[in-house]
Amino acid sequence: MTAEQDTRTVEETLLGFLEVKTKAKVGLDQDLFASGLVTSMFAMQLVVHLESEYGVAIVGSDLKLDNFRTVTTMAALVRRLRDESAVTEGV
Amino acid sequence: MSDAIADAMAAVSARVLDRAADWDLAGEIPPSLLRELGDMGLLCAEVPAAFGGLGMTSAVSGELTAHAGSLCSSLRSVMTSQGMAAWTILRLGGLAQRRELLPRLTGGELAAVGFSERDAGSDVATMSTLIRRDGDDVVVDGAKVWMTAAGYADLLVVFGRFGDDAAAVVVPANAPGVRIERVRDPLGCRAAGHANVLLDSVRLPAGHLLGGGGQSLQLLVTTALSYGRMSVAWGCVGILRACLAAASAHAKTRQQFGKTLGEHQLVARHLADLLIAEQSATRACEHASKCWDDGSSDVVMATVLAKHLSATSAAAGASTAVQVLASAGAQDGHVVARAYRDAKLMEIIEGSNEICQLVLAQHALTLA
Ligand SMILES: Cc1cc2nc3c(=O)[nH]c(=O)nc-3n(C[C@H](O)[C@H](O)[C@H](O)COP(=O)(O)OP(=O)(O)OC[C@H]3O[C@@H](n4cnc5c(N)ncnc54)[C@H](O)[C@@H]3O)c2cc1C
Repeated sequence: MTAEQDTRTVEETLLGFLEVKTKAKVGLDQDLFASGLVTSMFAMQLVVHLESEYGVAIVGSDLKLDNFRTVTTMAALVRRLRDESAVTEGV
Repeated sequence: MSDAIADAMAAVSARVLDRAADWDLAGEIPPSLLRELGDMGLLCAEVPAAFGGLGMTSAVSGELTAHAGSLCSSLRSVMTSQGMAAWTILRLGGLAQRRELLPRLTGGELAAVGFSERDAGSDVATMSTLIRRDGDDVVVDGAKVWMTAAGYADLLVVFGRFGDDAAAVVVPANAPGVRIERVRDPLGCRAAGHANVLLDSVRLPAGHLLGGGGQSLQLLVTTALSYGRMSVAWGCVGILRACLAAASAHAKTRQQFGKTLGEHQLVARHLADLLIAEQSATRACEHASKCWDDGSSDVVMATVLAKHLSATSAAAGASTAVQVLASAGAQDGHVVARAYRDAKLMEIIEGSNEICQLVLAQHALTLA
């Protein structure tokens, strides 16, 4: 699977997760905070979800709301963290 | 029960013995005893082994927290602070910071965490403490209130504004510009070392800024509180266990009107209420810890729910236990008298009853 396909899969899975958890249909680039769908408590749920679903650790300076603002930004975060861990683990 | 948790509980029991009443009256736990427990890793038992900790799961550490809470809520409060500080460092700190700081927290040094300010209580996002970069340094200005364990602490994890964002900074308690003033005569958890902390142009190397700063204040606070809530919830289970044990033992032996108190139906109902409270709070905590250990995103709401249920049940249960003991429990220092005062404060901290209810109601509305 190419990195691009991978990112698309993450995006699709996230859209599904959000739909279940917020009972609302969201768009890829919809600002989740501005639309009031996502509170800081829900952002925390997203942190835990992304970590367990994709085996990444969202810590330190990545705990910025901007990273969780849209589905696209979250998928990009996951991709970057996976790339970084691939580099550090040498795989 | 595995050996590790049994040993951990025994180590705590062996140090508390029957001294919790004296600590409550004196408003102080011997600091050497806290350091000894800290050095065994028992004050923040979830720190991974890679950083010198015991690496307990949330479920096992929860049972340890409940055990400490059943003996002494002041000690349990110190554990909550230490655990919250360790969790904050683990989540926000870079690898070098984790490697440096976490072994200190499992090596006998003590820590406290500060969000609250005089004008920023429940509305914690309005905090005004300022953290700013100045060349290779970081400078902290502000005033925190009611920091549990700050009276004992070597390290203060302080949250503040950082430009348009937020940051957490690890401040040595002895740094120039830090003033720690004990809160006098707190209603409960009297020996937990609550203190107000003034930070007056405290200058530190920028390495004290966790993860370089610039995170979201909401996410920082929610992250730290998630550990604190779980710990308080389990601590309240401990309060309920102590109350259930004291009330049942008393009702079994004390005689009035020619029979034991437990044979009077109105008293018996109190015991049933206590058992139900202890069991339901335990189940809610077990569920939340399982979500935590499984990495389930349900952990966020499960933790708020467990904290709220445990705190309200402990406050009600402690009141019930005092009712059953009556004059036998109506003296400061007595286990149910302590529980009565300590549990009330658990309805205020780490998200008051009302704040927890707002969060849970918002969740219900989202699911509708
Ligand atoms: C024993 C103890 C230990 C503590 N330890 C720490 C610590 O280690 N670190 C730290 O940073 N802080 C600590 N605190 C402070 C604690 O976090 C605050 O007391 C708490 O956040 C509540 O803030 P407040 O006391 O200013 O009450 P306020 O925010 O003034 O609230 C007063 C009342 O109004 C209610 N209320 C407020 N807003 C709303 C609303 N929107 N809707 C409905 N009701 C509302 C509250 O629930 C409460 O009942 C501690 C406090 C205590 C008592």
